[in-house]
Amino acid sequence: MNYQARLANTMATTAHTLLEVRGLRTQFQTGSGIVTAVDGVSFTIERGERVAVVGESGSGKSAMAMSILRLLAHPGKVVGGQVLLEGRDINALSESQLNKVRGRQVGTVFQDPMSSLDPVMRVSKQMVEPMMRNLGIKRDEARAEAIKWLGKVGIPEPERRIDAYPFEMSGGMRQRVMIAMALSSRPQLVIADEPTTALDVTIQAQIVEVLKNLTSEAGAAMLFITHDLGLVARFAHKVAVMYAGRIVEFGRVEDIFARPCHPYTQSLLGTIPGTTMGKHERLPQISGLPPDMRKPILGCAFKDRCAGVHERCHAEAPALSDRGIEHDAACWLPKGLDSVAMLAPERSARAVVESAGTDKVIVELNALRKQFSTSKRMVVNAVNGVNLRVHRGETLGIVGESGCGKSTVARLLLGLEKPTSGDIYISGLAQMVFQDPASSFNPKMTIGAIVEEPLVVKRQGNRTERSAKVRELIEQVGLDPSHADRYPHQLSGGQRQRVAVARALALDPSVVVADEPTSALDVSVRAQIINLLVDLKQELGIGFVFISHDLLTVRYISDRIAVMYLGEVVEYGAAEEIFANPKHPYTRALIEAVPVPDPAIEARRINVPLQGELPSPLNLPIGCAFASRCPMATDLCRSTKPQLPNHDRARQVACHHAT
Amino acid sequence: MTEYAAKKFLQMLVTVLGIVTLVFFTLRLIPGDAASAMAGDTLSGEALERLREQLGLDAPLPLQYFGYLGDLLRGDLGETITTRIPIAELLFRALPITLSIALATIVLAVLISIPLGTLAAFMVHKGRRWLDNALTGAAMVIDLMPPFWTALVLLLVFSLGLGWFPASGQLNWNDPSSIMLRLALPVIVLSLSQVATLARITRTAVLDVLNEDYVRTARSLGWSELRVLFRHALKNAALPIATVVGLSFGNLLGGTVIVEFIFTIPGVGNLLITGINSRDYQLVQTLIVVYALVFVLINFTTDLVYRALDPRVQF
Amino acid sequence: MADLSLSSVPAASASFREALGAPFRSGALFHGKVRIALLLLVPILLLTVFAPLLPIQKPLETNLRAMMELPSIQHPFGTDKMGRDILSRTLAGVQISMLVGASVAAIALVSGMVLGTLAGFYGGKVDRVIMTIVDIFLAFPSLLLAIGLVSVMGTGLIPVILAISLADVPRFIRLQRSQVLSLRSRAFIDAARTVDASQFWLMSRHIVPNTLAPMLVAASIAAANAILIEASLSFLGLGIMPPSPSLGNIVRDGQMYLEQAWWISTLPGVVILLITIGLHFLSDGVRELLDPRARR
Repeated sequence: MNYQARLANTMATTAHTLLEVRGLRTQFQTGSGIVTAVDGVSFTIERGERVAVVGESGSGKSAMAMSILRLLAHPGKVVGGQVLLEGRDINALSESQLNKVRGRQVGTVFQDPMSSLDPVMRVSKQMVEPMMRNLGIKRDEARAEAIKWLGKVGIPEPERRIDAYPFEMSGGMRQRVMIAMALSSRPQLVIADEPTTALDVTIQAQIVEVLKNLTSEAGAAMLFITHDLGLVARFAHKVAVMYAGRIVEFGRVEDIFARPCHPYTQSLLGTIPGTTMGKHERLPQISGLPPDMRKPILGCAFKDRCAGVHERCHAEAPALSDRGIEHDAACWLPKGLDSVAMLAPERSARAVVESAGTDKVIVELNALRKQFSTSKRMVVNAVNGVNLRVHRGETLGIVGESGCGKSTVARLLLGLEKPTSGDIYISGLAQMVFQDPASSFNPKMTIGAIVEEPLVVKRQGNRTERSAKVRELIEQVGLDPSHADRYPHQLSGGQRQRVAVARALALDPSVVVADEPTSALDVSVRAQIINLLVDLKQELGIGFVFISHDLLTVRYISDRIAVMYLGEVVEYGAAEEIFANPKHPYTRALIEAVPVPDPAIEARRINVPLQGELPSPLNLPIGCAFASRCPMATDLCRSTKPQLPNHDRARQVACHHAT
Repeated sequence: MTEYAAKKFLQMLVTVLGIVTLVFFTLRLIPGDAASAMAGDTLSGEALERLREQLGLDAPLPLQYFGYLGDLLRGDLGETITTRIPIAELLFRALPITLSIALATIVLAVLISIPLGTLAAFMVHKGRRWLDNALTGAAMVIDLMPPFWTALVLLLVFSLGLGWFPASGQLNWNDPSSIMLRLALPVIVLSLSQVATLARITRTAVLDVLNEDYVRTARSLGWSELRVLFRHALKNAALPIATVVGLSFGNLLGGTVIVEFIFTIPGVGNLLITGINSRDYQLVQTLIVVYALVFVLINFTTDLVYRALDPRVQF
Repeated sequence: MADLSLSSVPAASASFREALGAPFRSGALFHGKVRIALLLLVPILLLTVFAPLLPIQKPLETNLRAMMELPSIQHPFGTDKMGRDILSRTLAGVQISMLVGASVAAIALVSGMVLGTLAGFYGGKVDRVIMTIVDIFLAFPSLLLAIGLVSVMGTGLIPVILAISLADVPRFIRLQRSQVLSLRSRAFIDAARTVDASQFWLMSRHIVPNTLAPMLVAASIAAANAILIEASLSFLGLGIMPPSPSLGNIVRDGQMYLEQAWWISTLPGVVILLITIGLHFLSDGVRELLDPRARR
């Protein structure tokens, strides 16, 4: 029985169905043509159910979510389909009728908490007025209710904070306010559009718990948009995978993760380094780029990137069809890539040179400190006494949340900032791969000129030698030499990051520092860059410093890991050891906060997120920097700072209570 | 707030001192001094020396400078060189006229341009561009018309042709209706370009705010588009608009010189032109300082208004 | 090694041509706004250049038998009280306008780029000194500053150009400085610094080329503005002095005869308007060509 037929059948039977979306289509009228961002999407949400929608940027997942309440701004427009909320088609309602549904029956939480609240209006005003209207209560009742909600979402001193302006709150706090606003009118459905993407991992864990607990407490259903498969595993009952404006797979979370049936889902799940995966296995990667949505797509949208592509895929687009209980996929092959034995995404092996053997130190940081003075004669301690070593052929991963000083360490290492005290020793040359592929190239220079620049500045070789070297470098990072004549804006994000690697390698550096090199990239492209970096390290035997907030990637790529908190290294050791047996309470909290793309693991976890937020780096505590958030903190921690022993390659933990 | 205002006020004083200094030395350092410029070729060497002495130009430059500063501090603006009338007296009569024209223009322009710009932005946001296109086109043309030419054309049509407004005549402060009629055309001329500028800025500012995430948040809570426009968009857009209103006052001051000249209005602008034509350096120097002072004061006020409107700015 | 399949970028040849940076080579002339600009500016420019060859009176030639005549075939813009041909005088005025516009734009562009780059790049004391002076200059509205400066320097072409330039230079310094400041923190500057590129290298290779386009746009607006200010100065009798014709002083001459001979004052004004509109479209068009995101 196909999906549509089954839909028609179940329609009448389930009184449990809260939302049913049928054939939703949304278009954007752009200067270069009509983009059909949402192309016939159908799914249902039961009462109290959490449905996640995953997809990469441009897959139409956010446009789809916004289309449900017609919250798209011009030039976006819902052009077809039905949105049945409790059997009533809200897509057919007028604006003023729909306004009675918005906020009342359906609450919304948006991605960027920094910009989603009106900056010149107090929180109280933004919260209380909608509640008065939606619940029909008086101002002081609404205010009392609002304070109650703020307390529920975990805002300390809600009676006082309710009169704050948004700018007086951190991103995490603002997102809590957004959640309180969305839930305060007791909606039956909450639409959350990437609500934690802009937040740090420990804050993300807190917000996810709040959302999960409060919606299930209120019995509200939730539509959760995300690109993070780990969050899906932690959070959702069901998941819809979107690609090029369509749902390509839909089903219960356990089913999708255990038995994915669409080649895209299968590949996507493979690209994320698991908790046990070693460097001797290459990450499976999806080649190519998503289709250009301005052009009509003939056949299956995924055909150009699919290993199982055959003639039928070019002619016809497959519709969603049944793959088991409440499990549908849109692919001609019954089990996707698994149908063709050879094509199943396999983890090809990689020759690993045992690198831990080399003892030559190429980078050494001694008691490194960096202070920035702010305008009001305050001092920010960005890096606060860091000792680290990188050995030849070794990858050091530095992890920590934003504000922990990891990027400042990178800039100090590269000589882009002068240390306040301490010293840096580098044998050979250090080069850098920057985070944002959009701003790291001069837009007026060709790729060839960009890669050549270090050679020209250092006066290496003559023109012909240099252009030969440039060609060699561009090929080395997996690009065609013809790219040398192009400009940065003509390349995709992944290609640009390859160019950044080529430039970093031009002068044969002894160490390459990569600061969040994959955080601006989509999941499918991320694996390509990670594989490239690992391959190059094996091939060239140079040292790498890999800085990231993405713990799974850091674990996969690094030999050793340093965990940073408030400008200090709190734990250091071999990557596997740290993950298998984290000793510092912060490391433990960090690892627990990271959602793993495996519902079975997530279900076993007891999620007690780390409380509180990062203290201000303006006046650091005398004792342990982590004491304010640490569940094990004692008076000793608050009065005496635990130290890391200097330069020992063995495991090091800066904690009084680590065993 | 008071601390901030005090700090800004001090900064303003420094700027004013800079302006006075700049004007003073520019006027002194150019080849040939006021006396020879005034005299032309008519005076002999000896007579010229006497004139210099009379003007205080024989003293060493620093002495002249500090003398001038001292005079200014005491509120002594000096006398016109040729006619020996105290400049303060002239200003007392001319400044109210110029300021009335400027203020009336600003009020009129704000009343017209803000609703117009807001409406255009709202319609663009809804995907209907005709008003915006018309407004943008008209604003561009008006902005690029030479103000003296616009004034002459309006004078030609409304005063000489239709006879609605008097083209010249005495300004009698005791007869408000005659004053209004007399100043109407100059104010309209100046308002045209102010409306063009402000409507365009309003349109951009409101459109920017309408594209902000918090507008979508308000919509997601079930507020109607109009309420969102008035409660959120206009309030946030007021910040950039206030800044531009302050800044465009400068252009307006320049414009008053031209309309006062054309409509023969005895304001500061006409005084300035008379001063330049009669080579009265004392008068020109003082008037330029006065203009700059007015402009700096307006900017100071704008800055404080901005701070008061925006809770994000810490004092 | 990583796969090569990533290397397919659609329409490689088209994007290649676009990337040669050459909005000026291909397609520029067909861009809507540029086309309007050229339609307005080219005929005026041609008429101005070839004015001496046209079958009209010389600008200063008087004809007492044809005083204050309405526009006709012989005198398309009519004549003034001394029987001088207004069209011929207007074209001579346009010459002055163009000269003023171009000179002011060039002076403001060059000095703005030099001083703005220095202030933005070096920061510290250099920046403070330059910006303090800039702020004092910006405390004067530009027309008033020009009036003040002309009152000091006297009337005539050179003082007018200098006065208007002095009023514009601070604005250009400020624009260039803010551009340099935002470029200075971009990652590609950091990338060059990690290989110890010299400051000259950073400025000449990375900073200045990326500031050029917005500065050119600003320069063409400044040219239009300079033409308006010159006309205003001449109208007030503080700019180009009669008998040399300038658009401003022709209008001034006609002001007295507004009732009897409306064409003396109004028609030259229309020409100023056409020129400034042309320049405005030019700057808008250039901006859109250089930055496709500017369209809205």
